[in-house]
Amino acid sequence: MSTGAQRVADVAALQQQLAAVGYIAERSFAAALLLMTELKRPLLLEGDAGVGKTEVAKALAAVRGTRLIRLQCYEGLDAHSAMYEWNYQRQLLAIKLLEQDDRSVAAKEQDIFSERYLLKRPLLEAISCTHSPVLLIDEVDRADEAFEAYLLELLSDFQMSIPELGTVTALSVPLVVVTSNGTRELSDALRRRCLYQFVEYPSFEKELAILEIRAPEAAGELARQVVQFVQDARRMDLQKRPGIAETLDWTAALLRLGVTAIGQDASEAILETLAALIKTRDDRTAFTREVVGRMAAAC
Amino acid sequence: MLGTASMPPTPDLAGAVRARLAGFSGFLQASGFGVGGGDSSAVLRTASQVGILHPQMLRWSLKALLCGRPSEWHRFDALFDVYFLPPNKKIFLEGTRDTASYRKPSPEVSPDSVQAPGQSRGGAGNRRLAPERYAASREESLEAADFRELARAEEVRDIEALMRRFAREMKRVRVRREARCLRGRRFDLAGTIRRSIEHGGLPLSVVWRDRRRIRPRIVLLLDVSRSMSLYSFFYLRLARALSAELSDIYGYIFHTRLTAISEALRDADAWRAQEKMHLLAAGWGGGTRIGDCLREFNRDHMGRRVHSRTTVIIVSDGYDTGEPKTLADALRALRRRARRIIWINPISTRPGWSPVSAGMRAALPHIDLLAPGADLATIKRVLPDIIESMR
Repeated sequence: MSTGAQRVADVAALQQQLAAVGYIAERSFAAALLLMTELKRPLLLEGDAGVGKTEVAKALAAVRGTRLIRLQCYEGLDAHSAMYEWNYQRQLLAIKLLEQDDRSVAAKEQDIFSERYLLKRPLLEAISCTHSPVLLIDEVDRADEAFEAYLLELLSDFQMSIPELGTVTALSVPLVVVTSNGTRELSDALRRRCLYQFVEYPSFEKELAILEIRAPEAAGELARQVVQFVQDARRMDLQKRPGIAETLDWTAALLRLGVTAIGQDASEAILETLAALIKTRDDRTAFTREVVGRMAAAC
Repeated sequence: MLGTASMPPTPDLAGAVRARLAGFSGFLQASGFGVGGGDSSAVLRTASQVGILHPQMLRWSLKALLCGRPSEWHRFDALFDVYFLPPNKKIFLEGTRDTASYRKPSPEVSPDSVQAPGQSRGGAGNRRLAPERYAASREESLEAADFRELARAEEVRDIEALMRRFAREMKRVRVRREARCLRGRRFDLAGTIRRSIEHGGLPLSVVWRDRRRIRPRIVLLLDVSRSMSLYSFFYLRLARALSAELSDIYGYIFHTRLTAISEALRDADAWRAQEKMHLLAAGWGGGTRIGDCLREFNRDHMGRRVHSRTTVIIVSDGYDTGEPKTLADALRALRRRARRIIWINPISTRPGWSPVSAGMRAALPHIDLLAPGADLATIKRVLPDIIESMR
C-alpha cells in the first residue's frame, strides 16, 4: 500500500496542474480524477446544468496534453453516427472508376472497404489514437437506452467490430468522461461501470477562485461582490439557477458597463445586465428593482 | 481512522484491515446502494492504490467508486463514518430509530440513512427510499394507509390486462423524427446503398425511412388525500400494473406533501412494494394542497422528469385546500414543459357534478383533457381519448 503522505502529495499536484489550466477542483474531486486515471474507469459526472461538468474533460485533456474528443449525445443518436460510417458517395465513385481497372474483384472490394473510405466518428476516433485521448461523452441522458447499452459494451472492452474490416481494438485506452443532466434515469449497468461524481454548485470560495482565474480584470472587491450576489440568487426559488458560465458572462457585462463595485448606486447597471444571469421570463420577474437593490446592498 | 492504521501492518492486522474494507460494500448494499459482488474486490484494489493512512483520501476515492446516483452520493459520507469511525462518535443516532417519527433534517444527511446494520426495523428495502421520502410528522399522520389490498388477485388481473393493452397502444404513438426501417414512407438512398453492398452493389432490398415510434414518458401524480381515499387503492394498483409494462413512467403521490413512489411501484416483490408504500404514505388521508404539491414537483422533479414527450397524468378530485392561484401557476409552468396534461377526476361522473370547486376551476384552462375515472369500466372508456391526446 502506498503511503498516505505520498498520495496526498500526488492529489495536490494534480490539483495544482488543473488550476494551472484554469480549472479549480476540490481536493476530493482531484482524488477521484487521479483514481480514474489509475483504474482506467470512465467517470460519470452528474449535476445541474452550468456547474462545469464539461470543463472537467477539457481541463483533463489540457493537463495530460492530449486530444479531447467530444461526442455530443442527442435524441436519436445511433451507434453508426457515433462510431463510423462509410463514405458512400466516394465509394460509389470509386466503383465506377474501378470498372476499367483490371485487378481482381476481391482486390477491388478490399480497396473500396479500406480505411480511406471510412469516416471516423468520435468513438472510433477515440480508440484509434496512439496516445490515450480524453473522450467526452456529453449529456449521455439525451441518447436512447439502446445507445447507452451499446456504449456500455464499448466502455468495457474498448473494441468495436466493423464487419468489413474486422475488429478494431483500442491502441490506447482513452480516459472517458461521461456527463449527464439527469433528464432520464441512466441504467444501473452504466452507473456501475463508472466512477461517480455529483457536481454541486460551487461554494463561495471556489467560485471566487474561478472568477479570479477566468476574469482577472474584475478586481478583488468586485469579484467578491459578484460571487456573493450570484450565490444569493441561487438560493432564491428560481427555475434556472445561474451556473458558473453565467457568473462569468455577467462579470464581463458589468465590466463592460464600467461598474467597479456592486452597491445601491449600481442597481441600474445590474438590472441592465441581468439578462446575462437570469435566463427565463418568470425568473426575471422575481428580480424587481427593490429585490435587486436589497441584494446589492447586502453584497 | 481505521483503528489499526497507525501501527505497522503485521500479517494479522493486514488481514483484519482487508476484511473490514471488504465488508464495506456489503454494508452499503444493505443500506440500499446499488453495489454488486465485484465491488468489494474493487474496494480492496482502490485501497491498495490510495492507501488507508489518510482518512479523506480513502473516503473520496471510495465515494467515487461506490456511488452511482445523487441519492447515494449525498448519503455516502454518513455511512462511511458509521462504518469506519468508532461507535461512540455517532452515538446520537440511537435516538432516531423510530421509523414513524422521522423528519427530514437536511438535504445531505437523513438520520435513517445512517443506522448501523441490525438496528433497522424495516430492512434494507425501506431505507433505500429515504432520500426521496418526505416523511410526515405524527400530527400530519391521521391514519396509516393500508396498501395490503394492492395484491388482491381478480381485480389485479383485470387491471393488468387493461394496462397491457394501454401500453401496447402507447408503443404505436409515433413522433416526427425519422429512422431507417424496412417498410416506410420515404426512400432512404444512403441506407439502400449500404444494404446493396452485401449483394455486390445490386440494390436488391430497398430501405425506407419512417417516423420513429417513441413511447411517450408518463408522469403520474396521484392524489391520496382523504377525499380520494375511495379511489386511491385502485389508482395505485393501476400505477403498479402500468409500471410493470412501461419503463419510462414515474409515479408520485401527494396529499399535503409530494412523495416519489416510482421505485416502490417497480419492485418485483409485491409484498415488499406494499411495505414500501405503507411507509411512504405515512401521513396520508389528510387535506390536499394540490397547488403546493405541484409546485414542489415543478421545483424538485420537473427538470429531470418532464421533457417534451412527457404526458403528465394527474389523478385528483380537485378539492384543494390551498390557494387556487398557486395551482393555476404550477399547472401553467408544467404545461410549458410537458407535452400534455391529463386530469383524471374520479368523481366527475357523479350526477350533477360540474367543475365548480375552486381548484378545478383554476386548473381547467391549463389541462388538455379532463377525463372521468371512477372505476375500471370508465377508465376503459377514456383510454382511447388519453392515447389520442398524447399524439
